[in-house]
Amino acid sequence: MAASPLLAADGDPVYRVVTHFAPSPHPGMPGPYPGQVVRVHSEKSIDSQTDKVDRAVVKQMLSTGMRALTGDSRDEDAWARFISTSDVVGIKVNCSGAPRICSSPEVVAGIAENLVAIGVPTKQIYVYERFENQLQSVGYPKYLPEGVTVTAAESSRGSILGYDPHTYVETSFFGEEDTRSNLIRLVADKLTKIVNVPNMKEHQAAGVTGCLKNIAYGDFSNVDRSHRFEKTNTRTFIGTLAATEPVRSRVVLNIMDGLRGVWHAGPFSTNPRFRFYPKQMMFGTDPVAMDHKLIDVIEAKRKAEGAVSLFDRSREHLGENSDPNRNHYIREPGHVEYAASKGLGVYDDAKIQLKVMEL
Amino acid sequence: MLLLLAALPGLFWEGGADTASTLRDAGISHIVVPAAQSQSWNGVSGITVETGDLRGAVKLLTPTVNYRMNQASASREPWLVANGWMFLRRPQARFYYDVPGEPAALAAAEAFCYGANALVKTDGAGLQPLARMLDFLRGLNREDLPPVADIGFIDDASPAAGEVMNLMVRDNLLFRVVRAPDPTLKLNVRLGSRDYPLEDAKNPKVMAQTIRTNLTDEKRTLRIYGSPVVVARVSASAGRIRVELLNYAGPARKVNGIRVRVLGNYPQHRLAADDGSGVELLDYTAEPEATEFTLPELKTYAVVDLSH
Repeated sequence: MAASPLLAADGDPVYRVVTHFAPSPHPGMPGPYPGQVVRVHSEKSIDSQTDKVDRAVVKQMLSTGMRALTGDSRDEDAWARFISTSDVVGIKVNCSGAPRICSSPEVVAGIAENLVAIGVPTKQIYVYERFENQLQSVGYPKYLPEGVTVTAAESSRGSILGYDPHTYVETSFFGEEDTRSNLIRLVADKLTKIVNVPNMKEHQAAGVTGCLKNIAYGDFSNVDRSHRFEKTNTRTFIGTLAATEPVRSRVVLNIMDGLRGVWHAGPFSTNPRFRFYPKQMMFGTDPVAMDHKLIDVIEAKRKAEGAVSLFDRSREHLGENSDPNRNHYIREPGHVEYAASKGLGVYDDAKIQLKVMEL
Repeated sequence: MLLLLAALPGLFWEGGADTASTLRDAGISHIVVPAAQSQSWNGVSGITVETGDLRGAVKLLTPTVNYRMNQASASREPWLVANGWMFLRRPQARFYYDVPGEPAALAAAEAFCYGANALVKTDGAGLQPLARMLDFLRGLNREDLPPVADIGFIDDASPAAGEVMNLMVRDNLLFRVVRAPDPTLKLNVRLGSRDYPLEDAKNPKVMAQTIRTNLTDEKRTLRIYGSPVVVARVSASAGRIRVELLNYAGPARKVNGIRVRVLGNYPQHRLAADDGSGVELLDYTAEPEATEFTLPELKTYAVVDLSH
């Protein structure tokens, strides 16, 4: 790989994908339900005054969502479509705004309970994230069935030991010395299936952070190099990582936790002003279609708040982002459409079937 | 071709014989003292003494990393204070460090790594770390292997050339100083030439990037992934290659894993690391094109010998 950025004819970075994993005959993404998204909304799911989640309602939302997605009348049948008792299952949480916003422990616990209910031993279930300090700030273990492992790739920030040296995407964005982004070792070595649990958040660089970004930047090392400057490389990097085997094959289900949301200055949510409560969850196997719907949610909220569109690219809006009309980066929500070009799902709105359930 | 001499750096000590117990307690067994002090050390047991001075020696910087977290920057790369380029520019010179405390160990390792003729002056806090490092260095299998270079650099002795050499060392662009372009090397660089205009050398980082681009990463004998604070020195002879790794952050901020790629197929390996008992190379792969391994921990200095 050359030192200076290698650009293809279209001006995009050139990526070298190194993996010895072959795609499964039926890759998890876009999976058996391309272009299909189920949204379950419940006003009772979270109290926006106290920020308290109603665990029973979440359980009901999970059940409703899974049944609506699959058409099954029993939860066990719905889950068994994706996971078998011999699988080693990773639940990929998002803790980059934790503890203020993250994959809610009530949602994660509900997913783990469903896995146990279909016979997956708890010792075969892993809740995982990249950074241990963020993961620990949530306190998942007290919500989870006993025996489920909660683990992070980087117990020491920046350590490469939690990553597979043989599976990586190599590129040079700006002449950085470390040109590799390696896959989490747990994903490469142990997991056979992954349930992806992103949040509903705006992202300063990527536009939104949903299914695709959680499974891409959340599963590979050394990814923040894609957004060191105002003009980022998130548009192509996210989809490239998500499409890398075995990630593409093993992510069999996406459950987007939209109980809480961030509509500006994401993903970390340091400013309470930019948090909101969508009070919903989305279900699907197609991360592109789901993230398209996420864009709609964030755009609608930003419009209601009088903020510029995620798709705005004017330099006059670059700057300190305590103002919702300013941002540190030119956002790249186009990463979702780009991921469709990698075969990860359906972006065309006319071809996306959204099923809305109200509880 | 200049060989790595692997000379052991000496402790330059200005204290009198009444400090002998301090030195012994720290594990120091050999010192270099000013001539004026020499006689007072006669008959002191447990410490061998030689005479030396710092006059005429080139003073080096304290090797370290400046993270500059309080400064806005387009890059998050930390700033390495490294002296490698000084050794490469003046291989016959005498050098000295004036390094109090723990970094004395890194200074000794740095000088040893480059085979430099160097003294280390330190204080009481630096004695024990230095003694431990000197013990480690003494125990290494000293081999005079020629250094490996991908780049020939024509050094015009200017400050600009020095800065470019400094950046190349820090960026692990392996070079040696040449008088004229050497066709056996993969790339030759002369500042002021069409490809490397002096104007560009005003920003040595940009120049180092240009050199890297022209060389290409594929042709680099060595790559390091996972840490921006590790500098490598490579030497080789038929069928063997030695990779020496220096962590400029020092043991207080040990590196938790680096991946190293070396051109060539070397199925055999042997690791020696300071304070690294139990550390072994991980995920070792030797393929026709290149050999790769992970060093799971690097406190200050490690030596990896690879062979066919």
